[in-house]
This record gives sequence, C-alpha cells and structure tokens, in this order.
Amino acid sequence: MGYGNYRDPFVGRRPDHVVGAGEKLELTFVVLPGESRDIDVAIDLVGEGAEVSLKGLYLCGGEERVNFRILMHHRAGGCISHQLFNGIAGGTSRVSFDGRIIVAPDAQQTEAYQENHNIVLSEGAHVETTPQLEIYADDVKCSHGATTGRLDEDALFYMRTRGVPEAEAKVLQMISFLAAVTPEDRKEEVEKAVIQIV
Amino acid sequence: MDKLLEIKNLHARIGEKEILHGIDLSIGRGEIHAVMGPNGAGKSTLNAVLTGRPDYEVTEGSIVYDGKDLLSMTPEERSWAGIFLSFQYPVEIPGVTITAFMKAAVQARRKAQGLPEMKTPEFLKLLKEKMAFVQMKPEFAKREVNVGFSGGEKKRNEIFQMALLDPTLSILDETDSGLDVDALKIVADGVNALRSPEKSAIIITHYQKLLEYVRPDVVHVLKDGRIVRTGGPELIEAIEKQGFDQF
Repeated sequence: MGYGNYRDPFVGRRPDHVVGAGEKLELTFVVLPGESRDIDVAIDLVGEGAEVSLKGLYLCGGEERVNFRILMHHRAGGCISHQLFNGIAGGTSRVSFDGRIIVAPDAQQTEAYQENHNIVLSEGAHVETTPQLEIYADDVKCSHGATTGRLDEDALFYMRTRGVPEAEAKVLQMISFLAAVTPEDRKEEVEKAVIQIV
Repeated sequence: MDKLLEIKNLHARIGEKEILHGIDLSIGRGEIHAVMGPNGAGKSTLNAVLTGRPDYEVTEGSIVYDGKDLLSMTPEERSWAGIFLSFQYPVEIPGVTITAFMKAAVQARRKAQGLPEMKTPEFLKLLKEKMAFVQMKPEFAKREVNVGFSGGEKKRNEIFQMALLDPTLSILDETDSGLDVDALKIVADGVNALRSPEKSAIIITHYQKLLEYVRPDVVHVLKDGRIVRTGGPELIEAIEKQGFDQF
C-alpha cells in the first residue's frame, strides 16, 4: 500500500467533529434495551496534539437494530485517538460495528486505538464487526481488536459453586464486561438494563 | 452412624461415554476422606457430579447429602446447603472484586435461608477476619477475583472463600500434580484449621504429597470408574511404594 492510495474521506462529506490543535473531544454513546439506533460519527483530527476518546455501550434484548459507523481520520500528526465499544446482544437483535481509522500520509506520530468487544446472549442475536485500519504514514502506533463471544461458562459455574445464583452471576459478569464503557453517572441505569435482558 | 454424604451405585457420563461405573462411598460427619487414583480414573467426573457441573449426566444411582437428594439441587443450592468446592484451577473473573463476589455469595445464601441481608460493616468485619485467618494481604479485598494472581495466591483465595463460607462438606480438587509445596501448605493449613466433629472433607488427588499435610481418616482408590479399595492412611504408603497397578 503506497501513499498514492490515500483519499481524503472528507471530500464530499463533512466531518461531524473537527478537532483542532491541542483540543480534546470525549464522546460516550449509550444504547439501552428497546432502542434501535444508527450511530454514525465521522471525526477529523486536524491540528497537532488533538485527542479524541470515544466510548460506546449497547444492550439489546429484543428486536433492536443497532449500527455503529465510526470514521476516525488523523489528518494532522501527533494526535491520539482511543475507541472502546462494548456491548451485549440478546433476543433477535442485530448489531453491526463498522469502525474505520485512516491515518493520512502527513500524520506522523499518530496514536490510534480501537477495540470492539461483544457478547452474544442468544442463538437469535447477531453481531457483525468490521474494524478497518488504513495507515499511510510510517511513524505511527495503531492497533485494533475485535472479539465476539458468549458469557464465560467456567466463571458462571465458579460463582454458582459459591452460592451466587445463576442469573445474578450472569448480571455480575455482564456489568463487569461493560464497566470500562459505563459512564459513572449512568451506572444504575445500565445495571437495571442488564437485569432486564438477562 | 450418621452419614453426611452417601453415594450409591453412581454411574455418570459425559457425552456418550460412561466414566463412573457404579461408585459407592459414604462419609461420616467429621471425617476426611481421600479419593486417589491415576489419570483417567474418573476423579474429575466424581468431583463434577458432586458439585453439579453442567455437561455431566448421572445415569444411575443416588447421592444423599445431609438427608437431601443432592442430584436434584443446582450448584448454588448445594453451596447454600454447605458444600464447597475448592478448584484446582480457580477461575478469573475480571471486573469483579473479591469483596463484591463474596458479598454476593453471602447475601444470596442468607436470602435462601430466609435471613435478612448482612449489614455492610458486619460483612467487612467478617471478610477482614477471614483474610487474616488465611494470612491473605488486606489489599486483596479490592483485587479482581484471581486476575493476575500467582498459583499460590489463587489457592489462598480458595481457602479464604472456604473459611468465609464455612462449609459442612469441603471438596478439594487437587486432581493433578503441579502444586508447589507452598501452595500445598496453604491448602493443608486451611483444611486442618477448619477440622471439626461436624465438618467433613473429600480430597480428590492423584498424588500423595498433600496427604502428608492433611491426614485422611479414610482412603479410597478410584480406578477405571470404580472404587477398587477402601482403607486407612496405610493405603497412601502402599500407593507411594507400588503405584496404582497393584489394585
């Protein structure tokens, strides 16, 4: 892949957020049971030292359709972006995560990280995750990771042998899975939603 | 004599394969039993059936624990009734602290027994006391369960949970070797300290090391899914000298 393949994603499309030199942007998305949402966010880091942190959480227990489309464009060098999206899909919900990081040729010393972790609770639920990393600069630190799995049966059994009822063991595991993306002021709400879909 | 646990003609399988072919074993109150056997004898299956691990199916026989039909109870009901399993490989639970975990365990049991919730200060006092009892550093209370723990720390955490939950029947799964001497001593000290005329324990093990520190009253030899010999501690030496082939 040479620099020649680079195309500015914001030709013919405006970014939702432009983050300038030294600026910081923090966004958290929370999608609770019953909500179908399209979260489409495009960010342009245009000045040196810009920092972006995106966090996302979803909980689906019915027929929800939730789509995340994230575009993180590092136009300027020396910027940092962090993305962490964790969610749990039950019922017959459909969730997609489409995350794209583009590091422009001039964006040296970029740090860009993206993680998406999903737990599928039921046979009928479906999660699709496609992280994409396009790097056109050579001095960068970038990583992305995606996992989709089930609740940890060994951990559930371990908790049950200590007397924690199965449903409560599931709730504990789910709350801890979401802890890193749960805003402090929405903990209770998230906990209630977890109990609702277990 | 009043038996705490009575296993009769127990057959069990995992998938299509029968592993236990008719086990009879009874444990009196206050007794410590060792179940020894070579790899593949059925030790893990016996342990799994006693604690209610999903995937294992009992096809014949019965287990009566403290007058109750054990096989009809869920793993959590068994815990509430006083059974504790110390895992050979304790499981990590990221994001859940030891305090939160044990609080959930204690409160669930009290609820099942129709008791009111334990107040937080009272619970924390109990937690502290039991941590000190097994010489666990106080900062572990805030650590995530078993995450990043060394082998010895995991064992100590098991024995701590055992002390806190104060079981009537402890099942210690030490099926494989690989425990270092320090970890063995932690387990042994814990078991010895909790010995009482009311409490029993089963130590399921492949090798004799642990039994140098915890002397069992009765030793059973498990081989090919059957108990082939039952005797006193003298069996341990016999196994040490001549292995399991003699049975």
